[in-house]
Amino acid sequence: MSRTIAIVEDDIDQRENYRDALMAHGYDVQLYSNRQNARQGFQTRLPDLAILDIMLENDMDGGFDLCRELRALSPELPIIFLTARNSDIDRVSGLRLDAWDYLTKPVNLEFLAVRVSSLFRIADTLNSPDDHSDKLVVGLLELDQNSMSTRWNGEPVSLTLTEFWIVEAMARRPGHVKTYEAMMQVTRQSYVEKNTINGYIRRIRNKFKEIDSEFNLIQTVFGIGYRWQPES
Amino acid sequence: MLFSLFSDKRGLSLRAKFLFIVVAIVSLPWMGIRYVNEMKSFLLQGQEDALLLTAKAVGTVLNERDELFRPDTGVPELLGGTNDVYAHQLESLLQVDGDPIDWGSQLDTLRDFTGTLGQECTSIYEPHSLSVRHTLGFLNEFLYALFMVDDDVVLYRADDLRRLDHSDQLRMTIKDSSGEIFRYLLITRKSGRMSVYLMDKQWRYPLTGEPVSNINAVMVEVDGGYNIELRLPRRLIDADSRLGFDIVDVDSPEIRLPRDMIKTYPEADDEQLSRVMILSPEIARILGGLNTQIARIWILDTEQRVRAVVGNPGTNIPSKPESRSFFDSFGNGYNRLFDWLLQMPSDNFRDVETSESHRSDIVITKALNGEQGSRRRLSLDNRAEILVAAYPILSAGSVIGAVVVEQSSTEVLKLQDKALKSVAAVTLAAFLLITFAIFIFASRLTIRIRRLHFATEQAITSKGRVRNEYVDAFPKSTGGDEINELSHSITSMLGRLSQYTRYLEAMPDTLAHELNNPLNVVSSSLEILSNDSKEAGESKYMHRARKGLQRLRSILTSLTEAANLEEALEYEHREDFDLVDLVDGCTEGYQISFPNHLFILNMDVTTARISGNPDRIAQLLDKLVDNAVDFGEINGEIRLGLSVVDNMAYISVTNTGSSLPEEMKDRLFDPMVSVGSKDATQSHLGLGLFVARIISEYHHGTIEAENLPDAAGVTLTVGLPLVATKSD
Repeated sequence: MSRTIAIVEDDIDQRENYRDALMAHGYDVQLYSNRQNARQGFQTRLPDLAILDIMLENDMDGGFDLCRELRALSPELPIIFLTARNSDIDRVSGLRLDAWDYLTKPVNLEFLAVRVSSLFRIADTLNSPDDHSDKLVVGLLELDQNSMSTRWNGEPVSLTLTEFWIVEAMARRPGHVKTYEAMMQVTRQSYVEKNTINGYIRRIRNKFKEIDSEFNLIQTVFGIGYRWQPES
Repeated sequence: MLFSLFSDKRGLSLRAKFLFIVVAIVSLPWMGIRYVNEMKSFLLQGQEDALLLTAKAVGTVLNERDELFRPDTGVPELLGGTNDVYAHQLESLLQVDGDPIDWGSQLDTLRDFTGTLGQECTSIYEPHSLSVRHTLGFLNEFLYALFMVDDDVVLYRADDLRRLDHSDQLRMTIKDSSGEIFRYLLITRKSGRMSVYLMDKQWRYPLTGEPVSNINAVMVEVDGGYNIELRLPRRLIDADSRLGFDIVDVDSPEIRLPRDMIKTYPEADDEQLSRVMILSPEIARILGGLNTQIARIWILDTEQRVRAVVGNPGTNIPSKPESRSFFDSFGNGYNRLFDWLLQMPSDNFRDVETSESHRSDIVITKALNGEQGSRRRLSLDNRAEILVAAYPILSAGSVIGAVVVEQSSTEVLKLQDKALKSVAAVTLAAFLLITFAIFIFASRLTIRIRRLHFATEQAITSKGRVRNEYVDAFPKSTGGDEINELSHSITSMLGRLSQYTRYLEAMPDTLAHELNNPLNVVSSSLEILSNDSKEAGESKYMHRARKGLQRLRSILTSLTEAANLEEALEYEHREDFDLVDLVDGCTEGYQISFPNHLFILNMDVTTARISGNPDRIAQLLDKLVDNAVDFGEINGEIRLGLSVVDNMAYISVTNTGSSLPEEMKDRLFDPMVSVGSKDATQSHLGLGLFVARIISEYHHGTIEAENLPDAAGVTLTVGLPLVATKSD
C-alpha cells in the first residue's frame, strides 16, 4: 500500500509540481488549495504525511492553524512546513507546533523526496520500536539513525531533520572539521549560504544548552566550518 | 544658549532681529523728546518776544518822562537790606516833635529790633532794659525816622563831660557813593531838640565843635523809655549811599559806659550798613499795576542804576507737593529723569535780588545804546534759565534809561511741563509694556521654534529613520497659530514618512517572499523537466537557466539578510573571543574559497579580545573579502591585517587595483551604493558593505575606506574596541 501525502499549497503550479515529483517516487498525493478544503479532506481521511505552506490564499497564518488542527487529529503525523517565509520567528513558531521539519522555498524536489522518505522511516521506527536499532554513540551523545532521534547524556534533544543530519555529520568524525561546503550538502537543500549554516549551528547549540548549560562540543573553525570536539 | 543672539550657524537669530526692532522703537520716544525740546525753544522764543513787547510797552509809557530820571527828583528810599526796613511815603506833613501820633498808619510798619540783631558792650542783655521799634518814611525832600525806645533808665548828656559816649544816644552812619563814612551822633541834655555832631571813629569826640544844622531830631521821654523823631534831607543820601542806626543805652550814672547797643544792620562792620537804593516813587507808582509774580521789571537810568523794580521773575517758593496720583509710584526719580530728558530748569532758584542797585547785562548795554534786545541767561545759581528783554527809554531822541523785563523760563514751561509729564509717563509706560510684550513674544516664538527644531531633529535618526516615540512626544500647544500648524504638519509628515519607511523596510522581505514562490515554480519545473527528459536536462540552456536561478536566489538572500540584520542582532548575545583566531581561520578559509587570489595575512599581535558575536564578525570579514575579490584585480593579491592601537583592534583588507572615486569614500557603506564591477554575472546591490557597517556599529566599531598611495589599491579598515583588560 502506497503512502498518502497531503499537500496544502495555494499556488497551483507549485502544488502540481510537488505532486508530479512525489508521485514519481511512488506516493499517493492529495492536493488542497486552502484551509477549508484541507480540513474537510483530513476529516474524510488522514494522510500519512502533510506538507503545508503557511500563507494560504488570504489566510496569513493558515498553515499554522491547519498544523494545530492536524496535530489534534493525530499526534504522530509527520508534518513539514514548506514556505517562502524565512524568518526565525516563523521557524520557531512552526517547530513549536510539533512540525517535524521546516523548509524554505525554493526547494529541490529531489531533496524533498529524500526528506519525505526519511520522515516515513522515522515514523515507522516510532510505530514499531526496533530492538537492534542503528545507534551512533560519541561520548555523551547518542544518535539513533533509524528514528533520527538525539540524546545527550540520556536526555532527548528535539532536533529537526536538518539539524540531526548536521550533528550526525559532525559526530561521525569527531575532531575533524566539517567545512561549510560539506555542511551545505548535508542539509539537503537547494541553496544554502554560510550564514544559513551558522544559523543552524546556533540553534543546535541552543538546544543542547537547554539540557546542559555547559555544552561546548561544537567548535567553530573560523572561516572554514565546524567540528565536533572529542570529549577529553 | 536660550538667549544667545546668534543662531548656531551664521547670521542673527530671530530674537536678535526682534531686539533690533525694539531698538528702532526706542528711537520713537527719543524723537518725541527732541520734538518737545524743539517746542520748548519755540515757546521760549515766543516768550522772549512777548517780554520784549512788555519792555517796549513799559518803555513807551516812560518815554519823554525825563523828570522821573533826574537825580534831584529821585528821593532815596531806604530799603533795609536784609532787615527789610522800607521807607514809606508818608501821608501828611510831619511835625518833628517826638510824638509818633502823626505817623498815622505808618506805625503799623514799625519793626521790632528787640534783641533780633547784634548788640555789643555787655554780656547780659535784658529786654526790658533796652528794646527798639523803628520805622522810616519820606515826604518831599525829607527822609524821616522814628525810634520808640524802651529803656528803664533814661540818661541824658552830662554837662561836665567832654566825651559824648556817656549818655543814651542815637548814632547814624552814612556811607556815601564815594565810600566816605560820616558818623552823626544825636544827643541831648534834656527831653526836646537833639544836638547833632559829626564824630570820630570811636564815637567819643566830635570832629568839630559845630553841631550839624541840616538834621533835625527831637527826643521826648515817655513812660518806660523815650521816642526820637529824626528828619534829614534826602540829598544826603545818594544812589550808592548806605545808612545805619545804632541805639546806645547807658544806664549807670556813675560808670556812664554804653551798656547795650542795638543796630538796624546786622554787623558792626561799616561795610554791612543797610543798603540804600534810589527808587523813583513816581516810576514805582506807574509800574505798580504791572506787579506780578511771574515777571520782574527793572527800570534803569543811563548809569545802569536801578530806579525802580517790581515783580518777581518766578516762584522762589518751594513748590508744594501736588496730587500726582499717577506719579506717586515713580516718585522723584521719574521727575528727575524727566527734567533731565527735557532739560527742565528748576523752579527753585536764586537770582539777582531786588535790592541790587546796579544791573549790567549785554542787553542792558544794548538798550542803553538805543537798541532793543533779548536773550536767555542762567540764574545766579545756574539752576534756572532766565529770559531777559531790554528796551530803551527815550526822550527827545536820546536814551534816558532802559526797561528790563526778566522771567524764568520755568514759568513759561511749568503748565505745559505737567501735561507733558503725564503724557510722557503714559507713553513711557506703554512703550515699556510694548517692548516687554514684544520681547516676551519674540522669546516665546523663538523658544517654540527651537523646541520644534529639536523635536524634529530628534524624531529622525541620522539614517533617516523616524523614531515614533519622539513623534508621539512632539510639542503640542493649544493655540492655533502658524507654528502649531507647522508642528502639526511636521507631525503628520513624520507619520507619513514613518509609514513610508516601514513600507520600504518591509519591501525586501515582501519582495523576497513574493519572488520566492514563482522562483519555486521555475526551479521545480526545471527539475521535473530535466528528470523527464535526459536531453533537456543536459542542455546548455538548462544549465544557464539554473545559473540564472542561482543568481536570483543570491540576490534575494542578500536583500533579506540586510533588511533583517539589525533586528536579528538585537536578539543575539555577546561573548568575549579572540580576533587573532578568527582572522587566522577565516583567511585560511578564503584561500580555499578563492584559490585564484593570494591571501597574505599580517598580524602584529598575539591576542586581541573583543566582545561580540564571532559569527557576525566573520560575516563582516566575509563582506570585506567579497568586496576585495569583486573589485580588486583579477587574481591579484589580497592582504589582511590585524593590529591594535589604543584599545582598538583594527582589521584591514587591502586589494590591489583601481582607486575609489573620492566622493564614493563616505557613501560606500550606505545601502544600495556600489561602484560597479567588471563581472556582470555578479549581483551588486551594494548591500555587502552596508551589512559590514551595521555589524561594526553593533560592535561599537568604525569602518572606513582609504585609497592606497599611487592608486595601487583600496584598503577597508574596521576598528573594534577591545575588551578592557583586567588589571591585577
